Amino acid sequence: MTLYDKLLQLYPSLTQQDFLTTIRLQNDLDGKGDYIAKWEHPTLPRPTDEELA
Amino acid sequence: MASVITATTTSGLTQQADNSGVLQLASGAGNLVTVPSVTGTAMVSGNMPAFSAYRSANQSVSINTYTKCQFNTEEFDTASAYDNATNYRFTPLVAGYYQVNSSIYMSGSAYAAYNKIAIYKNGTIYKENQNGASSAIFDSAIQVNSIVYLNGSTDYIEIYGSTSIATGTIFGGSATLTYFQASLIRSA
Repeated sequence: MTLYDKLLQLYPSLTQQDFLTTIRLQNDLDGKGDYIAKWEHPTLPRPTDEELA
Repeated sequence: MASVITATTTSGLTQQADNSGVLQLASGAGNLVTVPSVTGTAMVSGNMPAFSAYRSANQSVSINTYTKCQFNTEEFDTASAYDNATNYRFTPLVAGYYQVNSSIYMSGSAYAAYNKIAIYKNGTIYKENQNGASSAIFDSAIQVNSIVYLNGSTDYIEIYGSTSIATGTIFGGSATLTYFQASLIRSA
């Protein structure tokens, strides 16, 4: 399951627009995988590592 | 006015001087190079880095995740400033303003909705572009172009892309659709 899938599972209300504007997932190909590079959602809090584990 | 050094066909090398601070080099009858009285670096082809690289095979990526594109095949790299094997970044050693062009072909087995592409400078988004694809289209290419100042020592640029294609998400390998280019257009 990708980070994107986990976020949708945690917050089903997230929309495509959110990923175009307030949320940016990123992968630098440095072996660390996908991560949240930006989280500026107006109502939903940034998920913790435990919630995404 | 200018101080002029001329290579003639009759008298060899001649010169005339004035106090303008401008230097002209003349060759034969009419070929003239002017070095103005300003601070700067005279640029010739030998010290103007330029490169072009493309992605030769498909690169799998996660949906809706900005991922660095691995442009792994060089077409030219005049100053050996592009790393096409490890970090996939352009780090020129000449300070100045660079024209940057890139395109990524994004494809998958489900409908595309949104694609994004970005020039990252030193790990941070510098310029980006996004589009919305038709629901009847499985794949598309997206481009970003910009002029970027690079300091000639530590500054580097990379290209990232993102797509909402849900299944089999890839950056398509293509010499004509998935490429990264940069060239110095003005020195610092």
